[in-house]
Parts: sequence; structure tokens; C-alpha cells
Amino acid sequence: MSTAASLHQSRKRKNAVMMTLCVVAAGIGLAWLALILGALLYKGLSGVNLAVFTEMTPPPGDAGGLLNAIYGSIVMTIIGIIVGTPIGVLAGTYMAEYGRFSKLTTVVRFINDILLSAPSIIIGLFVYELMVRPMGHFSAIAGAVALSILVIPVVVRTTEDMLNLVPNALREAGTAIGAPRWVVIRSVAYRAALSGIVTGILLAIARISGETAPLLFTALNNQFWSSNLNAPMASLPVTIFQFALSPYEEWQQLAWTGALIITLTVLGLSIIARSLTGRREDR
Amino acid sequence: MKPMLSTDLNVADTTVEKAKIEIKDLNFYYGQSKALKGINLSLPERSVTAFIGPSGCGKSTLLRVLNRIYELYPKQTAEGQVLLDGKNILDRSQDLNLLRTKIGMVFQKPTPFPMSIYENIAFGVRLYEKISKAEMDNRVEQALKRAALWGEVKDKLNASGLSLSGGQQQRLCIARTVAVKPEVILLDEPASALDPLSTAKIEELIDELQADYTIVIVTHNMQQAARVSRQTAFMYLGELVEFDRTEKIFTSPREKRTQDYITGRFG
Amino acid sequence: MTAVSEAATSSALRTREATVRRFAFTDMAFRTATRLSAILVLVLLGGVAISLVAGSWEALSKFGFSFLTTESWNPVTENFGALAPIYGTIVTSAIAILIAVPIGIGIAVFLTELCPRPLRRPIGIAVELLAGIPSIIYGIWGLFVFAPFLQTTVQPFIIYIFHGIPGLSSLFAGPPYGIGLLTSSLILAIMVLPFITSITKDVFDTVPAVLKESAYGIGCTTWEVTRRVTIPYTRVGIMGGVMLGLGRALGETMAVTFVIGNAHRISASLFAPGTTISATIANEFTEADGDLYTSSLVSLGLILFIITFIILALARYMLLRIDSRTGA
Repeated sequence: MSTAASLHQSRKRKNAVMMTLCVVAAGIGLAWLALILGALLYKGLSGVNLAVFTEMTPPPGDAGGLLNAIYGSIVMTIIGIIVGTPIGVLAGTYMAEYGRFSKLTTVVRFINDILLSAPSIIIGLFVYELMVRPMGHFSAIAGAVALSILVIPVVVRTTEDMLNLVPNALREAGTAIGAPRWVVIRSVAYRAALSGIVTGILLAIARISGETAPLLFTALNNQFWSSNLNAPMASLPVTIFQFALSPYEEWQQLAWTGALIITLTVLGLSIIARSLTGRREDR
Repeated sequence: MKPMLSTDLNVADTTVEKAKIEIKDLNFYYGQSKALKGINLSLPERSVTAFIGPSGCGKSTLLRVLNRIYELYPKQTAEGQVLLDGKNILDRSQDLNLLRTKIGMVFQKPTPFPMSIYENIAFGVRLYEKISKAEMDNRVEQALKRAALWGEVKDKLNASGLSLSGGQQQRLCIARTVAVKPEVILLDEPASALDPLSTAKIEELIDELQADYTIVIVTHNMQQAARVSRQTAFMYLGELVEFDRTEKIFTSPREKRTQDYITGRFG
Repeated sequence: MTAVSEAATSSALRTREATVRRFAFTDMAFRTATRLSAILVLVLLGGVAISLVAGSWEALSKFGFSFLTTESWNPVTENFGALAPIYGTIVTSAIAILIAVPIGIGIAVFLTELCPRPLRRPIGIAVELLAGIPSIIYGIWGLFVFAPFLQTTVQPFIIYIFHGIPGLSSLFAGPPYGIGLLTSSLILAIMVLPFITSITKDVFDTVPAVLKESAYGIGCTTWEVTRRVTIPYTRVGIMGGVMLGLGRALGETMAVTFVIGNAHRISASLFAPGTTISATIANEFTEADGDLYTSSLVSLGLILFIITFIILALARYMLLRIDSRTGA
């Protein structure tokens, strides 16, 4: 009788200990988030002023802004999205529609998932060999291509997943009325999966906004204003990399501010993407 | 009207009604497994034929052969002939999309497209016909009236098709099907997902539609088959067991298996 | 055919047939476009592999297998060895996983069993936000906030504690730089944590409620249910998530580059600076002069590619098995 009771007690104690540890774990996770975001806000905000958005990156020791870096990031991100999204959507469409039952789809899905998590620096090396070496110089377009290679797997995955959620009965209904396959896909499947596909694109943008490694040896960096796609172009992440590791205070401050801008952009996009899928789930 | 006789009696009747669809020696395979065995059947035009039978007997499979919707999936094949007004629609040269403008289908679960009510109906029409907005408005109105839905939706044609109730959605699907002016309408358990009131409305609709269309309905509800159809085909394990006028099937069937099914001995 | 629809008049019929032909063409074109795009994904990975092999050719053919076992990395004498980066990559990732897995599983247990319902979504979102923070942010945070903190408080403390204990004292020896292998491992752990948490939480959610209920029903505590029912059931999925996290950690560049110290050295102490494959490439590639130098860096990339490919393939395979079991 007493052994049963003491056994029960020890089990209860063990449970209490483990559960406390789990709460502690959650606390640790949240604490990290708070610490990082807190530091980012604290150090980054103090450097936010109009100059950041109007002046170019300064030479060491001088004050300045991040305009060319912000511009470069925006331009390369947009090109990366424009190039990568159609390919991703088309590939995802093949996998969910025309190729739904084919072996090719299984293989592509597997390879795509690996590309999704592959180290982005390797993608940078690839584009270096593919474009920078033959061209003989670094260029913004090479950077954009590297970003697009990062976009493709994200968009493929979400497009395929979202299209697979569209019930087959809907496709059959479209087919039964005499619509050819591509019309069914365009007018029925895409429409039904639209918010999910848009979410995928937003997530892809969020992903590449913060990527540094693939730009390091494709677009390189540029101290001055450049809108020439065929030349090195500044970007926020690479600028932050350069400035943060330098010994100059002004540069370091700009690095923090740039980091804050990137983080707010990424978090903002993620929240918008979430609210899109959230609404879909509620329906 | 002379009754349609089941072909295992091999009687040729000179006053048969005109057959809209003739099925000859039809076999159907899911991969290696034979789901339909040697089906021979004639479906008369402008009347309602019901396919009944226990789960897995092949009635839905047979229905889906008629508009070749099985072609969407790999490893599903049909052998034999299905003649629509004398032309074999199983032939490789048959354009599938064109076929489906002649043979429409309504599914078990209401499937309105993710568009407005108006668009749901205009969508199918627009595929093959170029008509003015006024004509389209007219077509949409006619279709909705035919489906007994016009009164309920005429003020909200731009609302999403998904905003309607289940029974209304199914009637929208019927409207959408008749809007493209098919010759045959296939109904795959159209009311099984609906409440009794909506079911009654659908059955009323079917009764009216048979004046202009050849209708084939698959149902697991025997009373429904008895209510709406003029002739009934009883299927079991992929075979056509018996085919005759509905009253005959339900009051004095020839086959024992039919008798057992309708009296509820199995099913 | 008495019930002739209007469309059966001959001109409308011709329009129909023209439409049908047009449809067939466009369908074929669209189908081809989607197919080519899918194949492009394969081509991309193949392209990456091929370009890495091509780029490493010079270095690998010169150094051969000894490339993997040489510690020295000397651009002047052009003697390159991958041992230090490989060591750094593996050690930092291993420690990161060791730390992140228990915490990640703990958070997943918290979210599925303990957390009050209204808090579940916000906390879940918060954890996922951690995943969304770009790695360069972790990098500069690590460099300016975390490393100094470790340098001034934690590291001296640990050195003091383990002082004199054989084995452990050399593991935690050396001047407290702040940066180094351990710091990088900790930052990696924080980065990998959200992945492990979200995958573990997802697989936890696949456990059938009846299974857990029957365990609770016979009087098991929450911990016992987790340990005896949930975790064994989701074992494969958790492994998959861990491997995925490992794959991420191995390839992580920016967070590590800032705080690893960039020394091509293998030291016994975790507090010493070191390097990882991706940090080396990131730091040195643009300044690499000479084809052999560049080729050696690409060879490092090839090694990383092979390691991560294997890990990620294993991870996907495991997660595939869990999907098929739950019929997803």
C-alpha cells in the first residue's frame, strides 16, 4: 500500500520536474526572441533618421545613409521574384495537376525539398561559376539570379501544396462542363488556391530579403549609387556584413539600423502571409 | 410504350423508344482489376434511367464512362463501345472536351466554382460560344429558371457561388450544366448530400428536365429511383443484372438477385 | 437528333471545332511549359553539383585525399587543407543540435500539452518568428551583444568552475575571447530551435487523440504519456526534424561568420576561435587570388554540399515515412 503511494508520489514529482523544464524551455525560446528583437530595436532605432533613407553609404568614418543599399536590395529582390515565381508556380502546377501521378513529380518533390534547405552560400558559388566567371565581373543581375534560385523551391512547394488542397471534385466539375485542362487549372484551381499561392510568394520575398551569402560573390557590393544591372550593386545584407565587421562606429550604427529595417520587413511580410492563410482556414 | 427488355432475353422489340446511348460489351478496368463486365444497355432519349445497386457494384463507374471523366486518372481504361446517337464516344478520335458539352454531369457533392453565381453559369457557355452580354444575361436567367433557382438568386447574381446553401449550390450546379445545352445529363447521387427538402426540389427538377434531356441518375436510394425514373438498371459486382421499366423492377423483377436487393436482403 | 441545340447550326459548329483545336494546342503548350519548369528544378540541383565539381577540380586533383586531413591553410605557400573548417562545421552543428533538440522538444510538449489554449497561437507564432529572422541579424547580435556578454560573465565563470578538472578544463580552457566555437554553437542552437520546435509540434499533432486518451485513462502523468506514447509514435518524424535542423546548421553562414573567430586551427578548447566551411568561403572568397586558392574554396563548398545533401536526403526520407503512415 505504502509502496504504491510512494511510487505515485515519485511519479508525480518526476512529472512536475519535467513539465517545469518544458515551461522553462518555452521561456528560453521566448526570452531569446525578446533579447534579439530588443537589442535590434534599441541599437537600430537610435540610428534611424531621414539620412538613412536619403544618403548613400559613406566612406569609413563619415556619416551617411543606406539609400543605395536599400535600392539595390529592392531591385534585386524584385528581379529575383519576377524570375523565380513563374518558374516555381509552373513547376508546382505540373506536380499537382498534369504530373500528379507521375514518377517525375516524386523525384522533383524530393530534389526541390533539398534545394529548399540547401546552404545558400552554395547557390552563390554556383551562380559565380555560372555567370560571374564567364562574364568576367560581378553584377547585380547575377545577384538577382542567385536570389531567384532561392525563390523557386519555396514557391514550388507552396504552389504544389496549395493546389493539392483543391478538392478533386472541383476539377472534375470543371472538366465535366467541357473545359480543357489548362482552363480548369487557370479558372478553377488557381482561383481556389490563390491566397495560398500568394502566401508562398510573400514567404519567398521574406526569405530572400535577408539573404547575404548568395550575394557576396555575385552582386558583390558597391559603395556608390548604381542602377546598372551589369555592375556590382549594393545590398542591405552585404552592406551590413561589411559595416558590422569594421571598426568604424558610424558604420556599425548603420549596420544596426539596416538590420532593423530588414527584420521589420521580413517580420511584416511573414505576418501578412500568415493572416492570408489564417483567413482561409477560418472559411 | 413497350417496355425495354433486358438483353439477356435477346428479344428485339420493334417499338422500342429511340436509344440515345447504346452501350455494347463494355468492360472497365481499374489497373488490372475488372470493374465492369460486359455491359450491354440501351438508354432511351428524353427520359430518366436510374442505376441502382449495392456499394461497389459499378453504377458510378458506369456513369463516369459515359462522359469519359475517368480519363483524368491513369490506369483507368474502358473497352467496348458506347454509342451516342450512333457514334462511338470511346473512340480515340473523340475530342473529350467536345463530348462533355454534349453530356453534362452533376456530382454528389455540390461543387460551385470559386466565382460569382453569374460567372459559374457563364463560364461553361463562354468556353465555346461568343455571345453578347445581353444574350449571356438571358442564358444565365434561363438556366437558373430551369433549375428553379432564379427567384432565390436573381438579386444577388454577383454573390459568390459558395455563399448559397447546400441545396441551392446543387441547383446552381444543375443550372450550370443545362446552360451549355447538353443532350444528356448524368447525375451521380445528386441529392445524397442534401436535406430532404432540397432532395424533393431536386427530384422535381429532374422530372421537369426529362422533357428535354436524356437523364441518367445513379442513386443508392431505391425509393428515389422508384420516384424519378422511367427505367432502372440493377447492377451487382460489375455486371448488369437486370434492366427494365421501373415499375416492373420494383414490383415483379425477373432476377432473384434484384428481388433480394430491393427487398433489403442485402445492400 | 430532334433535340437540336442552337449550337448545332453549322457555323456555330465550325466555331466549336476551331475552339476545340485551339484548346488542344494551348493545353499542350501549357502542359509542356509546366513540365519544363519541373525539370528545371532537377537541372538546377544537377547544375549546382556539376559546377562545384568543376570548380574544385584543380584543388582536388592537386591535393587529393590529403585535402581532407590537412589542417594548415596557407594562401602564401598555396597549401590548403580542409580539416579545420570541417572540424568547425561538424562541432558547431553537433553542439547546436545537442542544445536545440531537448529545448525544442520541450517547447513542443509545452505547446501541445501544457500551454493554456488562448496562448497557444501567439506563442507558436513567436517561435516561428524566430525562424524568420535572417541569419545576418543573429550574426550582428551575436557579435555585439552575445559575445561580449559571454566574454565578461559566462566564460570566465565556466573557466573558473572547470579549472583543474582533467579533461573538462582543456575543453573550456583559454582566454575568454567571447567569440569562438562555443559561441557559434550557441547562436546556431538558437537558429535551429524554431525548426525543431515546429516540426516536432506538427508531428505531435498527428498522434491520434485516442492513443493519448487511453494512456491518460489508466492514470499516466503528462510526462509519462509524452515519453511512452507521443515520442515513440513520432520518433521517426522527430528524427527527420532533427536532421533537417542539422542540415540547416551545417550550411549556416552569416550567423557563424561573425562569431567564429576565423582561425584555421583545431583547438581542444571550445572557447578558442575556429572556422567553418561556410564562414571560410564567405570571408575569403572575394579576396582569393590565384586559381588554386579559389578552387580550394570551391572544394570546401563541394564538401559542404555533399554533407548537407546526405543529411537532407535522409531527413526528407524520414519525414516521407511519417507522412505515409498518417496517410497525409
